[in-house]
Amino acid sequence: MKNDAVYILGGYQTDFARNWAREKKHIAAMMREAYQGSIESTKLEPDDINAAFVGNFASELYCMQGHLGGFFTDFDPHFVGLPTIRFEAACASGAVAALTAMAYIQAGIYDLICVLGVEQMKSVDSAKGGDYLGTAAWYEQECTGIEFPFPKLFGKLGDEYDARYGLDNKHLARIAEINYGNAKNNPNAQTRDWFMSLEHACTPGKYNTTVSGRIKVADCSQITDGAVCLYIASQNFASKYAGRRGLKLENIPRILGWGHTTAQIEFAKKVAASKNNEFVLPVTRKAITDAYARAGIKNCWDLDMIETHDCFTTSEYMAIDHFGLTKPGESWKAIEEGIIEPGGKLPINPSGGLIGCGHPVGATGVRQLLDAYKQVAGIAGNYQVSNVKKVGTLNIGGSATTNVCFVVGI
Amino acid sequence: MMINREKPCDGFEKIKTVAVLGASGTIGSLSGGLMAQNGLKVYFLSRTQQGSERGLQKAINQARSETIAQNIICGDYEHLFKQAITEADWVVEAIAEDAGIKQQLYEKVEKYRKPQTIVSSTTSSLPLSGLVQGRSKDFKSHFLSTHFYNPPGRMSACEVTGIEDTDPKIVDFMKDFLTTKLRRIVIPVRNTVAFAGNRLAFVLFSRITTLTREFGVEMMDYLIGPYTGRLLPPLATLDLVGLDIHKAIINSLNTNTNDEFHSWLAMPGYINTMIQRNLLGNKTRGGFYKKLESGRFVFLDPVSCDYIPAIEPHVAFVEKAKHFTRMGMYKEAFDAILSAQGKEAEIVKDILCAYVAYSYLLVGEVTDSQMGIEGIDSVMSYGFNWAAPSVIVEVLGGCKQAAKLLAERKLPVSPALTSGLKSQFGIINSGKYFVAK
Repeated sequence: MKNDAVYILGGYQTDFARNWAREKKHIAAMMREAYQGSIESTKLEPDDINAAFVGNFASELYCMQGHLGGFFTDFDPHFVGLPTIRFEAACASGAVAALTAMAYIQAGIYDLICVLGVEQMKSVDSAKGGDYLGTAAWYEQECTGIEFPFPKLFGKLGDEYDARYGLDNKHLARIAEINYGNAKNNPNAQTRDWFMSLEHACTPGKYNTTVSGRIKVADCSQITDGAVCLYIASQNFASKYAGRRGLKLENIPRILGWGHTTAQIEFAKKVAASKNNEFVLPVTRKAITDAYARAGIKNCWDLDMIETHDCFTTSEYMAIDHFGLTKPGESWKAIEEGIIEPGGKLPINPSGGLIGCGHPVGATGVRQLLDAYKQVAGIAGNYQVSNVKKVGTLNIGGSATTNVCFVVGI
Repeated sequence: MMINREKPCDGFEKIKTVAVLGASGTIGSLSGGLMAQNGLKVYFLSRTQQGSERGLQKAINQARSETIAQNIICGDYEHLFKQAITEADWVVEAIAEDAGIKQQLYEKVEKYRKPQTIVSSTTSSLPLSGLVQGRSKDFKSHFLSTHFYNPPGRMSACEVTGIEDTDPKIVDFMKDFLTTKLRRIVIPVRNTVAFAGNRLAFVLFSRITTLTREFGVEMMDYLIGPYTGRLLPPLATLDLVGLDIHKAIINSLNTNTNDEFHSWLAMPGYINTMIQRNLLGNKTRGGFYKKLESGRFVFLDPVSCDYIPAIEPHVAFVEKAKHFTRMGMYKEAFDAILSAQGKEAEIVKDILCAYVAYSYLLVGEVTDSQMGIEGIDSVMSYGFNWAAPSVIVEVLGGCKQAAKLLAERKLPVSPALTSGLKSQFGIINSGKYFVAK
């Protein structure tokens, strides 16, 4: 395996506010747009692409369509004869596709890989969609006969914090408010035109119903449809790419570090195993610290911003102390001190995150990497954070069973 | 770490309180709701307290939050008018499209408004200058149009223009305010009747209602359906708008415009019959479409003006185009339309070509020439949910090919089209406007 750097050359995100089933579109139409948009925005030559990797959770369930890699041949005849692979790790499907692309590049097998994360979820009603999402947990053990199992699982995460350290739901509401606020600056965010306020997030009501325990609608990321396509390249290819465009190679964002861990699939077992650990989810913490170590950074304060997995406000609450912004159990301090806000010491989810930008499951990990790329390249538009050199991302699958952390930067 | 944002325009704090006149209606209540969502104090005024409260409920439903109610004060013209207008920094008039009633209301507004309070109308069908005849210099210099599209929560376009007497700084201020504070896509337009969006769309609607006599409602909406680059088919859109509004706009365009498409402005007899029978569209639970208790739709027969069962049309080239659209192949879908032959195909091509021809013809008349096609592109996308004219040009094969198609149909070819004006809109990011049905 070579130790050369692995570069990100940009890509394209579909508008996560769209409902492709209402548009009567096939999932392949979404993939086509992401691919074509990525070629248009990066100006890469399709002939230079060696392989296409797809991150997707459950297209067979939502769309009655598997074998998504095969559709690349329909988008561009260049793909006939090239390798394509699909990857699945629940909500971390996108990140594991990118991670594997990175490994192929580092192994010297390919020079340029197209990574496409995609999920079409509005094709079914919310009850059925919630049930399908249950397959990201241990379905028989944790989800059979339970309506909307995931809000319940992540509600339990909040309960565990409450039991160990105390948890005020107002801090969760503030997380929702910040993410919705950030989404307003992102032209591809699902909720960019939705209303949210701290008062609304705090108040149960007709439009903010309690889903489970402490989890209300405002605490949840919303299911949506979306696809994101980006390019992972070898140093050799990135050098040529930079040369052709008059860019300096050192200014092209690259993957500086990564961490990838798997925890017990059952949420109760995860929590039981961490009983004597200061972190509620130590396996998630390990993915983060592995990424820090590989990137050669000491701690979170060497990052300039974070794109984290806030499928629920409780998961972002967990991410705050697991990234190390506070001591374990003290995430509320970072919220109260404004550290995670735009303009704060370490902004989290300027894109809006999963709560604001939307969570098309298989696309999320790739979307986080694309946003990291945009921020480092300085092309994130109205949600650009100034002077970003390093971004941390965290994509989790299931109830934090699969954990993938990247550090992207220059 | 700081988020980079565009520097907000100075002086937004000047607008803290808004009075919405006509808050029982859709545009009044929902645009007022947007203001309340963004932290402004908003008076909802209409003829009755109950009407304003109905408007409040619409605003709550749009925001999907009861909490915005704390920013809204409901009342009627008799009891709350003086307080609201005295306090307001911006008065938004969204009452019925009747020049006389608007003039009377403005006279009352003038009695109580503070100097420098901004007054805007949401009308697009009435000539603006006539509405403020007799008003003071200060009133006129602070008067402008803020034409929201329906429903404002989903349609972000807002056409803005002043009259001759309007202080240009007020227009500029409101453009910034609407963009930054209310998150509108502001389209600066010239002070012409129906502005950009309605001028263009209603001429096409008019042509379609004429053709409907021959083809019928269901077939017409099938042929000019969402696969041609619009979220709603045209006659279903008119049901949403209301035929009374449609008639008012067509009449106003008839009186106040004169261009190459003037002959398309028509009010077929069956539409007058529909209006007489109160078949105005969705608001009267029957227009071109009528939903039965069973959930099935029946369609108006333009000959008898009775409702007839669905015929479920099936035309080969339409189905082929829809298949390509379903797979995200919009150019191929339009190739299927262009290569088709027969009466139905010609109608689809005629309407698409007319859309392009009239759009480019209006550049310089309804929007500044300097904007190119951008302004009309924006209003059609963000106001009507139609694919922008420049996108239709692209799927037709580009400017040269589109110009050729227009010339073959003896439609005017504007220099704005042949000069190949660029637009931010492109096929890839306009996919949502091409719906496979």
